[in-house]
Formats: sequence, structure tokens, C-alpha cells
Amino acid sequence: MMNHKGDFLSLLKNADTLQVDSETRRESNPKALIHDAFQLPFDRKASYGTTLEIPEATTVVAMRYKEGIIIAGDRRATAGTAVVHDRAEKVLPIDTHSVLAISGAPAMAYEIARVLKHSFQYFRRSQLQELSVQGKLRTLSRLIRDNLPMAMQGIGAVIPIFALYAPQTDESENGGKIFFYDALGAHFENVDFATTGSGSVWIRGVLRYLDRWGGTRLEEMDQQQATVTILRLLDTASEYDAATSGYNAKAEIFPTLKIITRQGIETLTDQYLSECYTEVT
Amino acid sequence: MRDLPYRWIEAIQDRRDYIEDQLRLGSPVVGLPYAQGSLLLTVSKGAQKIFEVHDRIALSAIGHPADIERLRMLVTDTASVQAFQSATEDVNLHRLTHYVLAHTFKQAFEAIVGEAYIIKMLLVEIGNGDTPTQFTHINYDGNVKVQHESAVIGGTTEIENAMQDYLTAAQTDAKPDLPTALQLALKTWAVGRGLSQRFEDADDNTEVTDEQVNDIIKTELADREIEVGVLDSTLSGDTKFRLLTQDEIQVARETT
Repeated sequence: MMNHKGDFLSLLKNADTLQVDSETRRESNPKALIHDAFQLPFDRKASYGTTLEIPEATTVVAMRYKEGIIIAGDRRATAGTAVVHDRAEKVLPIDTHSVLAISGAPAMAYEIARVLKHSFQYFRRSQLQELSVQGKLRTLSRLIRDNLPMAMQGIGAVIPIFALYAPQTDESENGGKIFFYDALGAHFENVDFATTGSGSVWIRGVLRYLDRWGGTRLEEMDQQQATVTILRLLDTASEYDAATSGYNAKAEIFPTLKIITRQGIETLTDQYLSECYTEVT
Repeated sequence: MRDLPYRWIEAIQDRRDYIEDQLRLGSPVVGLPYAQGSLLLTVSKGAQKIFEVHDRIALSAIGHPADIERLRMLVTDTASVQAFQSATEDVNLHRLTHYVLAHTFKQAFEAIVGEAYIIKMLLVEIGNGDTPTQFTHINYDGNVKVQHESAVIGGTTEIENAMQDYLTAAQTDAKPDLPTALQLALKTWAVGRGLSQRFEDADDNTEVTDEQVNDIIKTELADREIEVGVLDSTLSGDTKFRLLTQDEIQVARETT
């Protein structure tokens, strides 16, 4: 019963052995649950792995700035050409110093974020220490890899950006770290910036350009500059990508922007963003 | 043995004596509300004694370390699984106490061929909206006592009563700030500590003077550390628990 060493997933699998009136094993296994819900017949092409079409209609972007990380996402959720929701949250806080920005199938992405959040908490509560950065990355890798069958069917790939601030970093250094993943769960540390989703192709090059030849390097920007840059990038993405929403002035819908610093996570308010927008346009 | 009821009762009584003997010298724990939440305080020699169970629930115990660890894991695991399968809001102290802990304690205590848990546990859940702050005291035999104003655990019932009396006499209607609450909790702890040492000499007097309290704190802290865990409702995020650092405790003790 106590042999799980802080591993939340194996705890869930063995939840029946806890002395509680727990539900069936099936229900305690989130993976099986997701798998059931989306159990569609394998497309022939997909089952041979010749194509891997990933619906990732969105734009999320993260970059390092002077005090840490700024991470953002637009608010549009689409199904084909239809806009199903215009207030989707794609930037999800996981614990006090880490954030997951998701692109891909929302059902899977939210579930991955939820499992991740509970895993980190469970590790801290049971082992009496924070899970290490490496440990956190591996947990996320595993979740993405476990989701591969869904990705192969073309319905459920999740390609997130994971950003965190390592609070134990020396005061003089920027402890912000950005990681991005592929559909197989391999993680890559990207020191300066990362962007994924369908709109990302339009702005990746811009980020690179700004970082190399822009007036101020991304890492030297203050919060105001970083915010304006991010808003401009999202605006650019929405110009060319129908699945990315821009700032909707009529409905007062702003993109989600969060900053992660030594002090933790802070969501930038609509008020602040609206002030920044006057500079954007 | 089970076909001889009187021997079963005898065995239970032996077991009770044995467990109480083991618990007698345990370092007491004090649970007290303050303006922003609730705190648990004890004094220990290094090993952590105050734990986070869930977003709004904390735990402390006296007893055998292995038993404390096993039961702490049981309640933490259950809370985590329930929070995941349902929602964090569905985890509450009442359910954890009555459906998970109490019967586990009782079963182990009364199964006289098996091992008993040498433990007394104090859990606290801070209020949220309509639900009030709740302190739950669980005895090794599965008896549960729920209190709302404050709670203590100590080596014996006499020690607990004396501590609770001291605490209740000093408490006012208005919730104190953190430094005041911490200082009161520490004094209450010292009352319990003093009595647990005195009971070894079979003295019935449960009076502990202020001077004795100060002496006890001074001597005990020579080779021990104060440990304080708070559930602070003003913390941002879901998790309200944190352990105070030694610096914070020092500052709180010096605040007048």
C-alpha cells in the first residue's frame, strides 16, 4: 500500500487498496477513462503511423524577460472552422512556480494539467519535499508519451510549453526556465523563448529576429516591454491564423498573460493589458 | 482467547495501559486559531511533526514514528485520491476522520492479536465560507473529539485537561494575531511538558506557575526546536499550509 514513493499515478492505479469506499479500479485510472471516452476506430493510415496530423489550433508563447518568464495564450477554442469558445484558458498554473501552456486537444490537455497538478502536490505532501525540476519534467514527459495512442489517431495530441521559475536560483540570476515537448514526450529546454500551436509558425521567426537584432534583447526587457512584445506577437499570429483570436475590444476579451518570478505566478490584469494595448496599436 | 470474554477485556486493558505508558512522555501539540487561520505548534528534536494533509487540512501526532508515518500516509493518500477523482472541495476533515481514520484506529486497537497503533492525532481544517474551523482529536482507540475553539494533544488525559484549561482561560473572543497566538501556544505546550515530567514522580498537582512555564521553555529549547505549521487563509493558491521558518518563529516570539 505504501510502496508508491510519492508517485501519484501508481497511487491512483492502486487506489482500491486504500481503506476507503473507493470506486471501481476503472474509474480511478484517468488514462483508461480518457481512453474509453475517445475510443474511436483506428484510421488505417494513422495506424501505420505514416501521418501524424496534430490539431493544435491556438497560439501559446513563452519568453524569458528580466525578472523571469512571461507566458501567454490566446482565448479561442476551435473545432474545424467553427469557433466554439472565445474565453478558453490555455495558460494553467500547476503549482506556485510553474505553469503549463497548452496547445492541442483541450480534453486531453486539461486532464494532463490536472494530473500534473495533483502529482506535484502529492509528491510534496507525501515525501515532505518539493519535486525537483527534473522530476517535474519527467512526470510531464510520461503523461505526454502515455497520450501517444490518441495523438496517433489524430484526435488528441497535446504539445505544451512548460515554464517554471526555480526559486532556489542565485539572486543575481534569472531562474526562469522554458521547456517544450514533442508528441512523444521528449523535452527540450529552450533558454530564450518557445511557441507552439497553429499560430506559432507566424511568430517563431519574429521572436528569433527580435532576440537577435531587436533593440532590446528579450531577456533584458522589463515587464512592460515584455508584455507589449507578447501582445504584438499574439496580434500578429491572429492576423494570419484563423484559429488564434486577437484582442476583442468589443467584448473586452484579452489574451491570458502570466508572469512567473521568484515571488511566484501573477496573472496580468485586464486593466494592465488594456493600458499596454494603447502602446501596441 | 476470544471465547473467553473476560480475558479479552483484560487483554484490552493491558493494551490500553501499555499504549498510555508509551505515550506519556510525548511532546504535546497545541492547535489554536488566529486572525488569518489556524496554527499547530509543538517542540521537537529535528524530526518533522506537523504535516500538510490537503489544501486546508494539517496534521500532527504524538506516538511511535512508524505509526505516525503510516497513518499520515493513509490519510494523505485518501485525500489526494478523492480530490482527484472528485474535486478538491469534496475533501473534508469530517469524512477523513470518520470514514478513514477512526475505524482504522479502533480496528487495530481491538484486534488484540495484531499490533496496535501507538498514536494520538490532532487534525485541523480551516473554515471556508459556512464551514467553521475544526480541530479533531483522535485517540489510539478510535475515539473522536471535535472542537472549534482550540485543541491539544498530550501524553495523558490529565495533561490534556490541564493544557486545555490553561488555554481556554487565556483565550479571548477576538482571534489573536499570529505572534500572540504563537506565544500562547508555546506556553500551553510548556504546561503540558511540565506535567508530563512531573507525573513521572506521581504528583497529582496540576498547577504550573508562569515562572515554571518560562523555565521549562528555556530548558527545553536548549536542544530542541519549536515547530509551527499554519493554515493561512490569506495565502494565494489552493494550498493554505506552510511551515514557519525558524526566523519567523523567532520574530513572532520577540513581538510584544
